[in-house]
Amino acid sequence: MRKKQNRTQQPEIDRRTFLTALGWSGVGLSGLIAALGNLLYLKPAVEYGPPTRIRGGKAKDYQEGIKEVLENERVIIVREKRGFAAISSTCTHLGCTVRASDAGFECPCHGSQFDNDGFVTGGPAPRPLDWYQVSLAPNGELEIDKSVKVPPETYFKV
Amino acid sequence: MPITAEMRETARGKMHAESFSSRFKVFWKNVYRSLFRYGRMPRDAEGQSYAVFNNLFLHIHPVKVSKHSLKFTYTLGLGVIATILFLILTFTGIWLMFYYFPSATEAYNRMLDLRSSVDFGFVLRNVHKWAAEAMVAVVILHMARVFFTGAYKPPREFNWIVGVILLLLTLMLSFTGYLLPWDQLAFWAITVGTSIASYAPVLGEPLRKFLLGGDTVGQEALVRFYVLHVVILPGLMSIFIAIHFWRIRKDSGLSHPNENGSSARGGAT
Repeated sequence: MRKKQNRTQQPEIDRRTFLTALGWSGVGLSGLIAALGNLLYLKPAVEYGPPTRIRGGKAKDYQEGIKEVLENERVIIVREKRGFAAISSTCTHLGCTVRASDAGFECPCHGSQFDNDGFVTGGPAPRPLDWYQVSLAPNGELEIDKSVKVPPETYFKV
Repeated sequence: MPITAEMRETARGKMHAESFSSRFKVFWKNVYRSLFRYGRMPRDAEGQSYAVFNNLFLHIHPVKVSKHSLKFTYTLGLGVIATILFLILTFTGIWLMFYYFPSATEAYNRMLDLRSSVDFGFVLRNVHKWAAEAMVAVVILHMARVFFTGAYKPPREFNWIVGVILLLLTLMLSFTGYLLPWDQLAFWAITVGTSIASYAPVLGEPLRKFLLGGDTVGQEALVRFYVLHVVILPGLMSIFIAIHFWRIRKDSGLSHPNENGSSARGGAT
């Protein structure tokens, strides 16, 4: 008696609703996977840009207090008493190229100003200029690795 | 009179000629009718309605238009101008693609060639450039017109949203096209523009890398912007323009001053 009642009662989810939901879940899931695959495909996998390691000439050719601007590489090599530093000339605000000024560096785009160590002294730049790792190649040339950032005021002694 | 073989031949020839011309007439009539089922210029209102309904290029028009909508100063034709500018940009853009090359070493030279060497190249390039700038202005003015005439109100809220998407697509097309001449202005504009995008929280930096295909504006960025500019964004634009126009019809044409919310809702023309 009880069994029969159960059979005639409408279940909360009938077979059609369940199978339809199952089908659409499959469609949705495969759509999601396809979308993810497409996103991964478009994510840049290989860097085709210019090399990150650059040479900056013989270390002994640099005099104290010099600021050597490598325009294409967008790096400024500084030689001080404390040693060598490679400071990025890419402004931390919106990526323009800063130029050397009397007080340090300044950006022509939106007027950010930096001191000799790349710390912000004015304008909209949110953080100091990047410092890159400097090392000495076996032949006495300076080597700058733009993929390795070092904290400001990290000088390389020769 | 006995019928000779010769007479039979002439009769057959005549019959043949007649049937050819009459058959051709029937054939032509069939072709014409299959193209224009309701005649070229029907005189009666019903025939005119059907003629408009059944023509791909005319079916965009409603059969009936309120007198008010025809007043030029109500819309200033801004939506139509934006559409025509989009068509001009599509055609000049395709023509420019015959010479342009999205290569970091070639792009700038190709742009110079278009300006100086290719016959009418400077015309196509300049029409493309000015139409693009005009389109941004006209789309914004169109939006202002819709706002001032209250045409964003029900039942047209959805079409306002579609319009906002079209504005964003217009701006994205404008931005991606800006890099393609590959001159100093383009390079620095995209450097600064993508840096601005990178300030967005969480998604900013990945978005920048995604757009540029690397860390700096280079060959990868040029190709990505080119594909977006000539295929993806215009394709999306066409789809949303179609939805935009379809919705105008479904929302009973342009807004007019006398309609009230309840009676206008659901009145498809």
